[in-house]
Amino acid sequence: MRNHRLALLAASFLLAALPATAQSGAELRFVLRSEPKTFDPMLVDDEASETIRYLTGGVLIRVNRKTQALEPELGVSWKVSEGGKKISFRVREGLSFSDGTPFTAEDVAFTMQKLMDPELHSPTGDSFRSSQGQVRVTAPDPRNVVIEFPSAVAGLERLFDQVAIVSSHSPKKEAAVLGPFAIAEYKPGSYVLLRRNSYYWKKDAQGRKLPYLDSIRLDVQQNRDLELLRFKRGEIQLINSLDASYFESLAKEAPAAVRDIGPSLDSEQIWFNQVPSSPIPNYKKKWFRSTSFRLAISEAINRGDLCRVVFSGHARPAVGPVSPANLFWFNKSLEPNPYDPQSALRRLQQDGFRFDGHVLNDPDGHSVEFSVVTNAGNKYREQMAAMIQQDLEQIGVRLNIVTLDFPSLIERISRTFDYELCLLGLVNVDLDPSAQMSVWLSSSSNHQWNPEQKTPATSWEAEIDRLMQAQASTNDQKQRKSYFDQVQKIVWDQQPFIYLVNKNALVAISPALANTSPVVLRPQTFWNIESLYLSNQGRGGDQ
Amino acid sequence: MWTWTGVLFRRIGTLLLTALLGGILGATLVRFAPGFGVDERELDTRLHEDSIQALRRSHSEERNVLQFYASYLAGAARGHLGVSHSFGRPVTQLFAERLPVTLRTVALGLAGGWMLGLLLALPVVRLRGWSFDFFASSTSGVFLCLPTAVVAILFLYFRGPVALAICVVVFPRVFRYARNILVQTYALPHVLTASAKGLSTLRILLWHIFPVAAPQILALSGVTVSIALGAAIPIEVICDSPGIGQLAWQAALSRDLPVLVNMTLFVTLVTLTANSAADLATKAFETRPV
Repeated sequence: MRNHRLALLAASFLLAALPATAQSGAELRFVLRSEPKTFDPMLVDDEASETIRYLTGGVLIRVNRKTQALEPELGVSWKVSEGGKKISFRVREGLSFSDGTPFTAEDVAFTMQKLMDPELHSPTGDSFRSSQGQVRVTAPDPRNVVIEFPSAVAGLERLFDQVAIVSSHSPKKEAAVLGPFAIAEYKPGSYVLLRRNSYYWKKDAQGRKLPYLDSIRLDVQQNRDLELLRFKRGEIQLINSLDASYFESLAKEAPAAVRDIGPSLDSEQIWFNQVPSSPIPNYKKKWFRSTSFRLAISEAINRGDLCRVVFSGHARPAVGPVSPANLFWFNKSLEPNPYDPQSALRRLQQDGFRFDGHVLNDPDGHSVEFSVVTNAGNKYREQMAAMIQQDLEQIGVRLNIVTLDFPSLIERISRTFDYELCLLGLVNVDLDPSAQMSVWLSSSSNHQWNPEQKTPATSWEAEIDRLMQAQASTNDQKQRKSYFDQVQKIVWDQQPFIYLVNKNALVAISPALANTSPVVLRPQTFWNIESLYLSNQGRGGDQ
Repeated sequence: MWTWTGVLFRRIGTLLLTALLGGILGATLVRFAPGFGVDERELDTRLHEDSIQALRRSHSEERNVLQFYASYLAGAARGHLGVSHSFGRPVTQLFAERLPVTLRTVALGLAGGWMLGLLLALPVVRLRGWSFDFFASSTSGVFLCLPTAVVAILFLYFRGPVALAICVVVFPRVFRYARNILVQTYALPHVLTASAKGLSTLRILLWHIFPVAAPQILALSGVTVSIALGAAIPIEVICDSPGIGQLAWQAALSRDLPVLVNMTLFVTLVTLTANSAADLATKAFETRPV
């Protein structure tokens, strides 16, 4: 009897633990760093709109941001067949959109048909587009839907993480959602208010309806200083992708609020212009096309110092196109290029370059001097460029730094090709290498160092093309991994992109917010939004 | 001899012509600015080649400035001000959302700036003591030296209202100018005589100072409108105020031609209207029988 009472007491304590500490009517606040461009989940192409889509959209499959594994959401089960050309879903029963409209397989079919319209030019839809041709979507009954693509789509299931299902019948159109929150109010330029979706289907272990939070207020605020100030004052509870300097400043005042989660998926890199028609002198084109030259430059850069000085230790020397944070796809056999100016000089001397102790000259007597362009206003890139300038000075290379605003920079690197070296970053939102297809295919406009090639300019680019096509045409993950490992190795050997650092994922979380478990994948702090709650005691904690 | 109707029509004609020329000048500058017609979405690795080409084509009709401007004016006549590239929304909608914010802050800032400027200028001429003059002149001098961006940063840090930041930018200019005019007017013989006869300060101000100083002070009012509007851009950007100043900045950064052309026309029209109104009021004062 006593044991029974104790068990009952323990059970009631466990049941009561969460609501006892959770604030009633609690509102989570954080900042959107730009105005959301759209609330239509199919047209999302900016971070602010992506945040709204994540918080409001219901998806068939969700990538668990912590384990990086796939989890069923609206799709109870799924089956990929015909080598990745076909996927069949069985959807959850008895669910409704935020306006009460019932959810059926017909909504999935409607969403996919709309998303795959080539005229929509949706980045989400384009991710599924591996070749020309019609996508066939059929919903034989309210619980099953079959989607057939004209050719195999690599990593097909994973792409559904971005597809928020919209209602085919609701008069509210895309405003009717299946996610934990729905848009309640929007004041352009000021804020977006999300309220709990009362029709949301998920429940916690105790059978309580999720999410715990009543609302989320997203203030549109571009100024990062103000964001930090507001966090310090307790006006907002979260900051994603914190800058290293802000992290350090906050760490001094509130060490419990900041977390360094380790290397993120994002990388910073430089690349030389190898476009044959670019308006730069031919002798420079010759340098930039030389693998030894690129390797020498790579070896002359002290990545460790970049991490220590520019990012205050909150970055790791980068290896290649995949960050170590990408658990499955990272090629573990590769190491960052070592800092070795002597080896760099030896390589250059083997190629006929001469170093007189101050200046490096090429075999034709031209002193080695070039400019790096980067985007103005990005203090980390400006600092990195300054440090690279010092590093290259040691091997007699003179580097000039040019900062341009973003449109001017894009014009130079994608239209006029009037640049020599470019320093930029790559933001990876998808773990799958197919998301980088347009970067690696030599025919693509995003093949930055030499885009839109009719035929691959080098044998190694031809080999990358072959391997990328091969990995995209099979659904055997092991085989795909083997192909992409080879791509990473070629990139490491040839250095078309000289990878510098992987910035760490830095976040700030108010101690009042409970159940937090920040991860490197976006959205870092609120990926488990349904389980977050604000504690009455002012102290939350981690899962 | 001039008639009010003639002057009014001439003014409106000049105003419209200047605004139209300003619009085309603005469009031309944006069109030939580096980075025009490029979209950062082109770097999105998820986009299919067809979508990237579609993005590039979306700017093609803006490449011919005259053609763009003609079609813009035709649209504007029907109430369509174009669609913003960077926001993906109609410019009319963006202006409708943001204009009230800026108009309110600029109006409050102007009112505050004028009040503060005049409140400091009047005692200077009335008290005629060096200490207050020194205090007022040095205070306004300090604020005059502060760049608008610095004022905005201070207000950002102390979370001061945006209207007050505009007030801080406007008042030193008002004070300097108003002080000099009032000092000169107070030294006029008829004012000295009125003062010697023991007339009240208010009566001297209303009957002897104001009619003389008003034309010049009214001329200043037109100028302060453009000062306040110009200050609103950095202040709104730094203080994150969702007005048209912030919109203009974002549009400039993304070479958003439809927004920038409308913005140029709007700023030109407001500035010219304010200056014309000030000129007309000045004229009215000058021709008024005394």
